[in-house]
Amino acid sequence: MSLRESTKTTEPIIELRDVVKRYDTGGEVVDALKGIDFAAKPGEFVAVMGPSGSGKSTMLNVLGLLDAPTEGTVLLDGRDVTDLSDEEQTKERKRSIGFVFQNFYLIPTLTATENVEMPTLFGDDPDARERAEDLLRRVGLGDRLDHRPNELSGGQKQRVAIARALINSPRILLADEPTGNLDQKTGRSVLELFLELTEERDVAIIAVTHDPQVSKYADRTITLVDGRMQDWEMAGVTDQ
Amino acid sequence: MSLLDDLSRRFPALLMARRNLSRNQLRSGLAVLGIIIGVFAIASLGMFGTTLRAGATDQLGDIGNEVVVSPAFSEGVTELTERDVTQIERAASGTTVVPVKQRQALVTRGDERTVATLYGMERPGALYTATDGRVPDRLRQGAVVGSGVAERFGLQAGNSITVDEQTYRIVAVLTQQDGISLVDPNNAVIVSPTDFEADGYSQVVVTAETGEAATAAADEIRDTLNGREERVTVFELSSITEGINAFFGILNAFLIGIGSISLLVAGVSILNVMLMSTVERREEIGVLRAVGVQKRDVIRMILLEAALLGFAGGVVGAVLALGAGIALNQFVIDDALATFQPVNLLYLVLAVGFGLITSVLSGLYPAWKAAGERPVDALRK
Repeated sequence: MSLRESTKTTEPIIELRDVVKRYDTGGEVVDALKGIDFAAKPGEFVAVMGPSGSGKSTMLNVLGLLDAPTEGTVLLDGRDVTDLSDEEQTKERKRSIGFVFQNFYLIPTLTATENVEMPTLFGDDPDARERAEDLLRRVGLGDRLDHRPNELSGGQKQRVAIARALINSPRILLADEPTGNLDQKTGRSVLELFLELTEERDVAIIAVTHDPQVSKYADRTITLVDGRMQDWEMAGVTDQ
Repeated sequence: MSLLDDLSRRFPALLMARRNLSRNQLRSGLAVLGIIIGVFAIASLGMFGTTLRAGATDQLGDIGNEVVVSPAFSEGVTELTERDVTQIERAASGTTVVPVKQRQALVTRGDERTVATLYGMERPGALYTATDGRVPDRLRQGAVVGSGVAERFGLQAGNSITVDEQTYRIVAVLTQQDGISLVDPNNAVIVSPTDFEADGYSQVVVTAETGEAATAAADEIRDTLNGREERVTVFELSSITEGINAFFGILNAFLIGIGSISLLVAGVSILNVMLMSTVERREEIGVLRAVGVQKRDVIRMILLEAALLGFAGGVVGAVLALGAGIALNQFVIDDALATFQPVNLLYLVLAVGFGLITSVLSGLYPAWKAAGERPVDALRK
């Protein structure tokens, strides 16, 4: 626990300052995020909870540089990345951010190793294959390197997806319902993997979820309701 | 490791493209089939045109090498004199010049009679060959008969026939002439020009080695003889062959045009296939973009898929067209090797190139559309 205390004193790796996201859906203007202040430090595991339509996914998209905020600032490692061009955003995503999705989104025609390599495929990265194999071994799939996604179980697919998210050694890992398609036991093993990764790689993990189990593993849980962060933190839950 | 695997390692977009195409093999196969048909149509119709032209040129024989000089009737010239012939010989040096006298005559053998063309030629051997007997270098006595006349009367060398009032011994029967000629010997009897009452010649046949030489000779004859007054009419058959060549050129363009339409249709089917497959892979492409694959790399990957379809179709189509060309040439002009001439290879390359370009163009819109979508929209549940 002392290690965790010490990491919390460092500068945040990603930060949202007064972020507003407004959608214009055919005449009707919807405020998905209504002024969010949020920061995550390296090695921190944050769970974001809240009902459907509360703006969780929008927040994750803004954090992941997939969507630009209407107002406010996004800071990545202290740098303002709010108004990057599409190409710069893409480059930054590749460099600093890993994604894990509820539906895994593996490419069915590629093997596990190739799926993990995938973010590096379009660049010159000679040792990517080696890193991919190491990562797959790390997540416990050393014997499934050449399997296609349809030959893997749900938990194994999510492990491949996690390995894929880690291939470029990102500082941040964003997870959208990472346990949503997994049974309790498998979900727990994925969350344990997350916990290990925050410790051994100092990666910040932000997971959007409905699953109360996730917040048990998280360092802290924030709750979004109607585009706003609730003041109270569910700190007590983690100690149960 | 196979070459393809090796290439895939070096060009990962190729790996992705190939795997994506293998995902729905029937659909990819049908798209390729479209390109195969298009490329096959263009290449085989192009080669078909070449074969037609070769066949036609064969039929026309050597007429392209012939120049026929006749008196300029419109200027009141009715015959060519010895002086004209000398001038022609001088003008068209390096060619064979055969002055010809001509009239219609009644040919009789026994009870049978027919009207045939009677030519007076000193050297028929310069123009024709014999199947029976020998065409003498200089024809002084006796007659040479064309194959048509010989067949009509059942003639052989050594027989005799009566032309008008005079009887001739036949010295040679000519080979059937297949080509078109202005001086057609098939239904004619050839005798020495001294047997004609008239002094002048009705025409002069000039034969050159090549079509170009014939054209040059024709120009020279025109310049020399028609200098002051219009004395002769020069008819060169090379102008006809040029016309025929131009016609086959147009025919070829038309055939290839028809082939191109089928390729266009194939392009539409590739557009359709690529569009469907990118729509199906919407989320996957969204993930690619999310994990840091640039727009241009997505475009490149999809264009490569289209290009692979086009390339596969093009190669198969070209091979089939080559096979069809060999069969056609074997069948029509009895020479399968005639397929392998530069112009046909050009058609093959052209057809494959068109197939490839059509495919890539058809891939442009789906690629642009897929890469342009924001990952957030693609991944929205």
